[in-house]
Amino acid sequence: MTTTRPEGTGTIIPLGSIKRAPFKLDGEPPPTTDIRETLYELEAAGELIIQRVPEPYVEVTTKYGRTKKIPEATTWHHKSCGQCGHIPGYSTAIFWLNRKLGMDYLDPTDQTSCTAWNYYASATSNSVAQGGVAMRNFAAAYETGYFPIIHCGTSYGHYKEVREEIVHYADLRAQVRQIMDKLGKPLVMPEEIVHYSEWVHAMKERIAALQVYDFSDITASVHPACHYYKLVKEDAIYDPDIYGGQRTATVTGLIMALGAKVGDYSTFFDCCGFGFRHILVQRDFSRSFATMRKIEVTKEEANPDVTVTHDTGCVTTLDKSQFAAQAHNRNVGIPVMSDAQFAALAMGAHPYRVCQLHWHSTDYKPLLEKMGIDWETAWIEFEKDLKQLENNEIEYLTWEHVDG
Amino acid sequence: MATATAPVTFSKKPGATLAPDSYTDVDYSEKLRLWEEVKADIRFPDYMRGCYECGICVAACPSARFYDFSPRKIAQAAAREDVELIYEQMNDDVWQCSQCFSCDRCPRQNSPGGLITILREVAVKNGLASSREALEGYGRVVYKIMTTGTQVSPDMLQPDAFPDWGPDVRDVSENLDLWRRAVPPETMHTTSTSWEVSQETLIELYLIWYYSDVMDMIEEVDEGLHMIILDVMEEALEDAGYEL
Amino acid sequence: MADGRVVVVGAGPAGLEAARLAGDLGAQVTLVEKNESPGGMPIQANYAALTHGFRSAEEAMGEMVTAVLDHPNIDLRTSSEITAMSGSAPEFSLTLTSGDKSEEIVAGAVIVATGFRHFDPGRETQQYGYYEFPDVITLADAEGMLKENNFVRPSNGEIPERVAFIQCVGSRDRQIGNEFCSKVCCGISSKQAIEIRQQVPDARVFIFYIDMRMYGYWENDIYWPAQEEHKVNYVKGIVTEVLQKGDKLVIRGEDTTMGRPMEISMDIVVLAVGMEPSEGTRAMAEILGIGTNKYGFIEQDHNSLDTVATSVPGIFVVGAARGPADLDDSMATAGAAAAKAVAFVSSGVTV
Repeated sequence: MTTTRPEGTGTIIPLGSIKRAPFKLDGEPPPTTDIRETLYELEAAGELIIQRVPEPYVEVTTKYGRTKKIPEATTWHHKSCGQCGHIPGYSTAIFWLNRKLGMDYLDPTDQTSCTAWNYYASATSNSVAQGGVAMRNFAAAYETGYFPIIHCGTSYGHYKEVREEIVHYADLRAQVRQIMDKLGKPLVMPEEIVHYSEWVHAMKERIAALQVYDFSDITASVHPACHYYKLVKEDAIYDPDIYGGQRTATVTGLIMALGAKVGDYSTFFDCCGFGFRHILVQRDFSRSFATMRKIEVTKEEANPDVTVTHDTGCVTTLDKSQFAAQAHNRNVGIPVMSDAQFAALAMGAHPYRVCQLHWHSTDYKPLLEKMGIDWETAWIEFEKDLKQLENNEIEYLTWEHVDG
Repeated sequence: MATATAPVTFSKKPGATLAPDSYTDVDYSEKLRLWEEVKADIRFPDYMRGCYECGICVAACPSARFYDFSPRKIAQAAAREDVELIYEQMNDDVWQCSQCFSCDRCPRQNSPGGLITILREVAVKNGLASSREALEGYGRVVYKIMTTGTQVSPDMLQPDAFPDWGPDVRDVSENLDLWRRAVPPETMHTTSTSWEVSQETLIELYLIWYYSDVMDMIEEVDEGLHMIILDVMEEALEDAGYEL
Repeated sequence: MADGRVVVVGAGPAGLEAARLAGDLGAQVTLVEKNESPGGMPIQANYAALTHGFRSAEEAMGEMVTAVLDHPNIDLRTSSEITAMSGSAPEFSLTLTSGDKSEEIVAGAVIVATGFRHFDPGRETQQYGYYEFPDVITLADAEGMLKENNFVRPSNGEIPERVAFIQCVGSRDRQIGNEFCSKVCCGISSKQAIEIRQQVPDARVFIFYIDMRMYGYWENDIYWPAQEEHKVNYVKGIVTEVLQKGDKLVIRGEDTTMGRPMEISMDIVVLAVGMEPSEGTRAMAEILGIGTNKYGFIEQDHNSLDTVATSVPGIFVVGAARGPADLDDSMATAGAAAAKAVAFVSSGVTV
């Protein structure tokens, strides 16, 4: 460098001498109000019912320092269209974790999609209908006495939007209540809107205690899901020990608890490219964005063994988009799975019966080998299951089959 | 797409605009009516407050990297109430948005993504030709979600629908019934829905569509689709004892 | 000749000026400073040159401190705080605590000059990585390095080739709750940009801004010279993220003039952090029972054309305790408050 260096320069200044102590949320007044306070007021005025978080619950900290209650059990599982439909190991792993940890739960059929994927894709709906769908599902949960836990990041984000709207717009609340009256259902709002990855985060030490494989050689990169932490952002979990409290702690916290390495990369904030409508009818966008902005960057900068995420569209987009890129010899090839599947594998879940990895596209076998999981034997076992199903010796692969 | 290739002319109509006249065949009064409908949405004041063009929304936006698309321009047009430009955006730009809400970082606490949700909704509700085009090929998904209560189903994973996803899609579709039976949760042995939704639940969902004017929106953008969905719903509702 | 005592809380620029002038007008003044030494933020935060005429902060503040120390009417009490108050005008009874000793002071008027603190970029809603990346610093950090003529990359001590300033960090942001403009950051960034260009002539310096608020003479004194003589690059558009790529920083934002996303490599990123009420300002508002606005600054009645009155007669506020202020504002309000406080203790009327 040909610069004219002024005299006396060039010493390394220790970080501590310039910067203040690491950031702490220091009793700052949060810039957002706690929506639950308004909810309690509405409840007191007889406007709606609040379904309380059942005990026992774990207390976690959100973005601006509010304490959020995460129920351990007695949960009503609000399933995800894309998970159940196209990544069935995702939902199965969530249930399997609950079973392994001995948590009582319900897997209801009295549940519809939140329909937000369609809403964000086509706009063929409106706030009243979206409010109606949300409140119908919440009422269905309330009637069972089990507390809703939401599998899909988009459902979670959208329901938080709906909660904002129901709470803040009295006219909309009245319209939605009218519909609920016609359905013969009460207007119920859960005390907290809880994403399953928050439950995983709250359970991470208990999951790690049951870990059977050593993950210390595994590097996992994290794709935080947009609708988890960008929509109604103050409700997402943050932890000062994870990225200094500057990024959401879910998923990353689990990876750390399982003793794996976190592979960081510079486009962590970027979305996956799902686009809601794009993944269905404009896939050139989804594919290009997922591979060029996410997978290739991750590969180049962190070269992880796996990308772990916590939402439906992200798993699909990041996983499926790699095939076309591979065909063009791009630098891709990272298996993608959910935090629930990653945790289940650590605890010894069957890669096919539970994690259903045969539904995934990008080659996950080198990852399983590095984890110490014998996928060949597992596949032979699973093929036997399939044979039995084919011969109608068994009608379905059941939990008894898996748990036993 | 209404990208101007010919020399652009600028509108001299009321509500002066910087947008080239891309939709000269549509009356200004009609464009104004749609804009008033956008502003009447209950969410509008919370989604659009004011814009000082800092560009944070654009930098965070995936669609801005791929398309000639800018959430900042959407917000600016709304802030200036540039009716002509808003009409153009309502026809073209809004369908490029990914609805990821990365733009919610706006320091003014606008939600360009939320504003786009409203713009799209008004476009659909008024049956704009562009919204019909944008939803072409998407009808089967609307049909699926409205009639079954789940957005996608395992049997939609067909190689011809997802040719770029590789041979695994073919594996899934060929083994679909068997592989679904090999999924342990009892609710997930389905192939035409993501999970089993009870009939009573579906009836309640249909009633929500009826009572919230969603059926009218579908009729505006796709009469055929509207008819098919109506058939399914009416039959089920009649069986359940509802007179509509 | 005033017969009541004036207590000035805070010995930064505004407090020093208010104390000196009240003393010159004949009042007995007690000047209370929490820190061991007077001088306020310019000294505590190690400022290099003041934006005001590029004077050395140490020299300028030194003169002000000397004027107070040598003043027969002023009793400077360092390492001391006002911890309680009772009574009202014309007899405020204030508890002055120094270490484990407390005493009562009776005052006819109080001037609050407790100032601001720099916004902590850990609360920034954009992703600037202040606590992640050593080469991301604040204006205050940069001041310290410029003062030592040692503007280098903190990570490795190398001379930077490319430096970016990001404006409005913690200001004009509804997400954070600081909706106000901090007033001075545009000027300070531009001043520092000039200093960097002087100290490290080969470095390219960029300022990413929403609006450049270079009012009055800052335009011709700072902004134009920065562009015309010192070739500082101004880009309209705010950065959303600072990332690390290899040993460089990458900034992402939109160049709004050109209308496209940008990703540019940088060696040092300086966050133009704004002002918030200091802990002292918040504490004094509570102890003295004076009204604050929603941001925690001490409220003044904007309709009265009185720039220094608080909600309590006989208590005045000056400098950045009343909201973001530059040195001109601070000096002007200090002068006004000193005059009004002295008039108040002499006649018992608000002027």
